[in-house]
Amino acid sequence: MTRRRLRGLGRGGLCALVVAGALFPISFMLVQALKTPQEDVFGHPLIVRAPTLDNFRELFGEARQERGLVGRVLLRTYPVVRWLENTLLVFGASIVLTLGLSVMAGYGLGWLRPPGWRGWRRGLLATYAIPHTILFIPLYQVVIRLGLEDSLAALILTYPMLALPFCVWLLSAYWERLPRALEDAARVDGASRPAVFFRILLPLSTPVLVAAGVFTLGTVASDFMLASVFLTDPRVQTLPVGVGTMDVGLEELPAVAAINLLAIPLALLCGVFVRSYVRGLAAAMAEGA
Amino acid sequence: MAQVVLKDLNKMYDDVHAVKDVNLNILDKEFVVLVGPSGCGKSTTLRMIAGLEEITSGEIQIGNRVVNDLPPKDRDIAMVFQNYALYPHMTVYDNMAFGLKMRKFPKAEIQKRVQDAAEILGIQELLKRKPRQLSGGQRQRVAVGRAIVRHPQVFLFDEPLSNLDAKLRVQMRVELKRLHNRLETTAIYVTHDQVEAMTLGDRVVVMKDGWIQQVGEPLEVYGRPRNRFVAGFIGSPAMNFIETTVADGAGALWVECAGLRLRVPAERSARLAGKRRQAVVLGIRPEDLHPATGADPVDLTCEAVVDVVEPLGSDILLDVKVGNCVIVVRVDPSVRLRQHDKIRLAFTPERIHFFDAKTEESLQ
Amino acid sequence: MVAAWLLLAPAAVMVAGVLAYPVAWEAWTSLTDLSPQRSGPARFVGLRNYVELATNPVYRFWPAAAATLAFVGLTGAVKLALGLGLALLLQRPFRGRALVLLAVFLPWVYPASVAVIGWYWTLNPPLVTSYSRLAADLKQAVDGAFGSGAWALASVGLFNVWRGAAFTGVFLLAGVQAVPADLFDYARLECPSPWRRFWFVTVPLLRPFLALAVFLSLTTGLADLANVWMLTGGRVVFPVLGTEAYWLGVQAGQLGPAAALSLTLVPPLALVLWALFRLVDPPEERPR
Repeated sequence: MTRRRLRGLGRGGLCALVVAGALFPISFMLVQALKTPQEDVFGHPLIVRAPTLDNFRELFGEARQERGLVGRVLLRTYPVVRWLENTLLVFGASIVLTLGLSVMAGYGLGWLRPPGWRGWRRGLLATYAIPHTILFIPLYQVVIRLGLEDSLAALILTYPMLALPFCVWLLSAYWERLPRALEDAARVDGASRPAVFFRILLPLSTPVLVAAGVFTLGTVASDFMLASVFLTDPRVQTLPVGVGTMDVGLEELPAVAAINLLAIPLALLCGVFVRSYVRGLAAAMAEGA
Repeated sequence: MAQVVLKDLNKMYDDVHAVKDVNLNILDKEFVVLVGPSGCGKSTTLRMIAGLEEITSGEIQIGNRVVNDLPPKDRDIAMVFQNYALYPHMTVYDNMAFGLKMRKFPKAEIQKRVQDAAEILGIQELLKRKPRQLSGGQRQRVAVGRAIVRHPQVFLFDEPLSNLDAKLRVQMRVELKRLHNRLETTAIYVTHDQVEAMTLGDRVVVMKDGWIQQVGEPLEVYGRPRNRFVAGFIGSPAMNFIETTVADGAGALWVECAGLRLRVPAERSARLAGKRRQAVVLGIRPEDLHPATGADPVDLTCEAVVDVVEPLGSDILLDVKVGNCVIVVRVDPSVRLRQHDKIRLAFTPERIHFFDAKTEESLQ
Repeated sequence: MVAAWLLLAPAAVMVAGVLAYPVAWEAWTSLTDLSPQRSGPARFVGLRNYVELATNPVYRFWPAAAATLAFVGLTGAVKLALGLGLALLLQRPFRGRALVLLAVFLPWVYPASVAVIGWYWTLNPPLVTSYSRLAADLKQAVDGAFGSGAWALASVGLFNVWRGAAFTGVFLLAGVQAVPADLFDYARLECPSPWRRFWFVTVPLLRPFLALAVFLSLTTGLADLANVWMLTGGRVVFPVLGTEAYWLGVQAGQLGPAAALSLTLVPPLALVLWALFRLVDPPEERPR
């Protein structure tokens, strides 16, 4: 009994440590965003005593804090609502584009299996070996040539590159292992190949699709580099780039609020899907990769 | 060599009571089969004996030693899994040697034991292969061999034959029995297949919904099922059940329903006497019915109409209608009958079972 | 079959289309003396840029390569170890597991694009905030011990580990669950030492997933570095291959050597990739 209890205790302790380590930076950022300027300077680093949403209101230009002479003179307003709209548009469009293309390619490679399908899948995955740091100078030239500078389209067209290879691998690995009898049975009943795909294969793959979607969102939402290269005009920037241009020295609190504004909802949205994500990945990985 | 004792064993998952007050004494060298439909708690019981599931309450002894808090590796048991659990990255030899290597046996000893086991199972030529190069039956043998080399006190089998095709299953069943006769090691075997249970077990433990329904030798469980569930679960095709009412008449008790009126054999009357005008369930196995001849007393027969004829070769199964119910009869292959033919069926009196309609307990 | 190629085409075009020109441009430029500060067409100089890099200490190639290797290697190893630990911790059900899993997942889905900004400000605090003092002390201690810029690099590493271990952990948890549970159960029955169980059973069974996880965490490690250079205009990071390239290319206008410098990352990554593919699907075990 004691031995088992000891093991349980050890696991509990480890879990507590893990949870603390995982959540500390998130809660730290949230705490800063809820502070008044007074508390920011004189308060406790980890605790907020009088939480306020003023920083968020200020971000949207609704309430302007008295921040002393220098602050009042130099404060700019930021098109935060615009940034949010842009961000959601870019993320949404990239996810739709990535998922659409990976479903097509995944079905082609994993289910139809043309000769050399394994090589193609590896080839796609191998593109990850090209570090993205070498891309931005020439890519920027292409973007200018195409007249896409300061256009969200530039991001929507480049972001799939970040997540597509993995999503194609994931979906094709899953479909590769589904029994062929699924299709045979439906075709005997008179269903066409597309009908089999849309009525049977796709519905069966929901967890894997969720996993691919979450992976895409997570990957796309982690890019700062491409967005900051392509978007220089504040009116078309996404929120991360916009916040990156804010002057920290003067506007630390609203900036931190802006970080939370995007991060907390996105993280929670993905968090809702964590189970599906694990299930989908596991389904695609079953019986060896 | 060891006996295994389960005392008031219980397993609770969050909201499911999977195993309920299981008490069982498994003797040294005995082959005990736990059988029941899926979800009856048999696998959970086995996994608790192995130490893979924690015990919610109760006690498990292996060889007079309480093992409740012993980790699986110290219980001196060997287990064969349904999916064989062979390691894909190891050769057959390494798979079989794994348990011994991990326990740091000397190399020569390991080699000898693996060779011996391979010889017993006839897999000497496979030792250098990887599991994915083997057929289902070969993998099965390797999985058994892996257990043999350990010379454990107890073998645990978790549905080891259910992934094999029908023919191979029969063959492996015989081999397992032969193996047990040779090794004389206590074995606990879990299956949902009552044929396996009957053929392999020295004793059979029938389980349902976490409860033990009956423990006994195979023929005892078959011949004197303690309740309707056991009666229906053991035996194939399953026992016929007919809902009847108990009635008085002509100095004897009768059970009747539409199209059927049977005199209760005198030695059974005592238990049914208190059930006058009440419902009881009559149970009769397909093999305990036969086409009536002049020798059969008329009050133990009934009229029937043939619905379906299933020739098996060794015998014929007839689905026949008696009144409103359909029952199955096993008859000699020489009997020539077709659909809609009428026959008279005789009941073997000492093989008739009665069950309480509410509690489903046997009224033996 | 035609249908298969048609379905694959858009994805292939999408990925290759974005990558082809930049890679070709970098490759060509690395063989020229292209520079915006010099008029006239770029001249072909052969492998001179590469030779210069390797021999001329002005380019700080070797220290930068060492720092890059150290960064990627260290963060990669730590992420793998932590991730594997997390996956094994979460392998078996226990009360509250769902919540721990959620907590483990959050660092990865907390969007790094903004998280990196927060991380950078926290570790290099702007104003006199309540935590500035602590952060400054830390910075001084680390920079004092390892040289200027070390803290910046270390903090990026810490950030990458925080995020990457979360991804690796959840990824490997899925891998663990994709392996039939019997295989782990059998090991519990037969193997007295958890340590040997880990090396003889867990690691080989998870090998393909470990390989993929390593590869993905390598690329995200480099991506996190890239994010920080962009954020800080390449100012604060310890000389790493990427920062040096950025300096040379954007600040100093020497696009040729910059391209050569960037491309030196490709062969080692390709080599790692090749090795990992062999682990994912070794030829002798390939089905069919």
